[in-house]
Amino acid sequence: MSKNKKAKNNAVQAVPAETETQTAAVNTQPADDLDMFDFDDDPLGATGVSRKSLVIFFLIDTSGSMRGTKMGELNTVMEELIPEIRRVGEADTEVKVAVLTFSTDVKWMYAEPIAIEDFEWARLNASGVTSMGEAFKELSARMSRNSFLNSPSLSFAPVIFLMTDGYPSDDYKEGLAALANNSWYKFGLKAALGIGNEANDDMLAEFTGSKDTVVHAYTGNQLAQMIKIVAVTASQIGSKSMTLADQNEAELSDEDVYAAKQKMLGQQIQELVKQNDSEDVSFDTGW
Amino acid sequence: MTELKIGQEVEMEYGGTAVVEKIIGSGGQGVVYLVEYNGMKWALKWYDINKIKDPAEFKNNIKRNITDGAPSNKFLWPRYMTKDAPDGTFGYLMELKPDSFDSFVDILNTYKLVVDPLTGRAHKEVVRFTDLHAMVTAVINIVNAFRQLHRVGKSYQDLNDGGFFINVDTGAVLVCDCDNIAPDGSNFGIGGKPGYMAPEIVRGIAKPDVQTDKYSLAVVLFKLLFRGDPMEGEKVVKDVCLTEASELRHYGAEALFVYDPDDASNRPVRGIHDNVIRFWRMYPDYIKDAFIQSFTAGLHDPNKRVIENEWQQLFIRLRSEIISCPCGRTNFTSMFEMQDPSTYRCPKCGMTFATLEFSNRDHLMPLYIGSKFYECEVYDDSDDFLSVAGELVENKLKPGVLGLKNCSERPWKVKMPDGGIYDVAPGKGCPIWQGLEINFGTVTAKLG
Repeated sequence: MSKNKKAKNNAVQAVPAETETQTAAVNTQPADDLDMFDFDDDPLGATGVSRKSLVIFFLIDTSGSMRGTKMGELNTVMEELIPEIRRVGEADTEVKVAVLTFSTDVKWMYAEPIAIEDFEWARLNASGVTSMGEAFKELSARMSRNSFLNSPSLSFAPVIFLMTDGYPSDDYKEGLAALANNSWYKFGLKAALGIGNEANDDMLAEFTGSKDTVVHAYTGNQLAQMIKIVAVTASQIGSKSMTLADQNEAELSDEDVYAAKQKMLGQQIQELVKQNDSEDVSFDTGW
Repeated sequence: MTELKIGQEVEMEYGGTAVVEKIIGSGGQGVVYLVEYNGMKWALKWYDINKIKDPAEFKNNIKRNITDGAPSNKFLWPRYMTKDAPDGTFGYLMELKPDSFDSFVDILNTYKLVVDPLTGRAHKEVVRFTDLHAMVTAVINIVNAFRQLHRVGKSYQDLNDGGFFINVDTGAVLVCDCDNIAPDGSNFGIGGKPGYMAPEIVRGIAKPDVQTDKYSLAVVLFKLLFRGDPMEGEKVVKDVCLTEASELRHYGAEALFVYDPDDASNRPVRGIHDNVIRFWRMYPDYIKDAFIQSFTAGLHDPNKRVIENEWQQLFIRLRSEIISCPCGRTNFTSMFEMQDPSTYRCPKCGMTFATLEFSNRDHLMPLYIGSKFYECEVYDDSDDFLSVAGELVENKLKPGVLGLKNCSERPWKVKMPDGGIYDVAPGKGCPIWQGLEINFGTVTAKLG
């Protein structure tokens, strides 16, 4: 029995830092003596439950036309947004954020997705042209088990939120073609925000796969509202498991639930956008 | 309008206004605010009626619950309705959770985020049960709360990790989010939280009721003890990306318990489910068997699910089988050695523990300073699992002499070394000795 336990305990020691600090508090013996504790599994010495992982990708246009109010508003709302989506994962989901900016060049804000609890928004500046196609290709390359989506445990399909104020200056179709072959993209929750008069909602719908998940902002106030609506809704839906069609009386099939989350995202975004429209600007929601 | 503003006044159904102070939390159906009403602080749950199927029916159900009152003091129950806002939105007031309680979510995560109000920065603070006794007491309290609820003919419907607050020092439990509680058989639109929902709800062929609550309760208990998902093992992890279709399979028709004795294809995976692997071998068989029952026979046959009273008995037993060894090791008797048929031995330090053998059960209760038994364990007419009936203590006047103190309000009859039977009044005690026998009334105990 004790031999068996010994083998298991060695493996247990290979797990995350939190365990180490907990055992350290109880066990002040030198490392040589650790063996004598190998029967001493503490029923309270748990590490956090294994969580599913969700990466939220923000694809942000930082071309020159974004300079000024748009960028200022965007930076501000993103800073405010991070704490708001911190808790959406609860105990089930570890939420990470990755920010890809595109102008003349395509750049990640951080070298890898960062846990939402530790994420700090690095303020963005705008200049250059709109290499959106390149951004799509870069995203597709990183949305892989060997790259950004490398969590050993289960993952939810990622949330991908595109924000732009203009038309791509490169061949975005080529980028979309790359994404179309990526199954993380296929199952992902996709949404887009067009900013100002230049942004083309039809083109954005090509990216998201449906018009319902494309929203548009013409003023700074709208920009802040739309970013919040889309990001919060998408991360809430993305970080949770499927919810049911509650009118259902018959056994659900794979087809019934196919892209259920993407459809739900479209519905909820449209509802929220409508509410905000009717209330106009006089309604101060605390931005 | 769904969101309330800080400082906004919300009119209450029976007069007066509640003033919004800040957001405390948000859920699938609405937002919870801290408010002041009649000079007291309350929590206001304010609905997003767009997310509720039939708001009028939903509201009537809450009103009925307010009238009926809480099944016990373990519930943060709806207390007062607001008036409807012009757009039909409404909410209700409930008591605030005391600071000494942590959310079940934080317990599962083993930390909580504490946000500095000035910088907005968050740091992690450890959340962990103070001792094993508190954890098992929390389990008993959770089970008992649902037993009380089901006894008044209601079901919780949306049982999940967001529904409890626990005091990690004492194991006291508060059940919150009581707004979907409905008479058994009624459902006002909630489906439940995936991972906690019974497979038949996931599949779309049943609505939440008392039987599906029992499944969710087993999941909650499994998560609290084993710190993992009972259905997430190798088979599920192979999917890598949890799409809607894979969830439907793994939590619905093809759900498979990670420790199904007849099917090993979904065992926990080392490196991902280490908690489950580690804790599963620590618990005694009667606990593991109850989970196996719930998640194999009871998986698709609701009538085979373990009932609350059975869980309660099992965990009262488990609590009586905790040993806190002076060497610092605390564990269940299943993790101690037996020196002889009535004595446990610590495998780490060699300390031995005498046991009490009760006439109403066939398992032994180990004795150490601080070990306790409860009223429900020694008085047949008592269901009280929180009031201590007896405790092993050291005599204050004779250091080193150990005895059992009568913490109950009934006298015991005790056999002493001289062969005589003596009364031990409430508040008094008797030394323990080989041959000790205690008569509690109908139940007797002797030193093993």
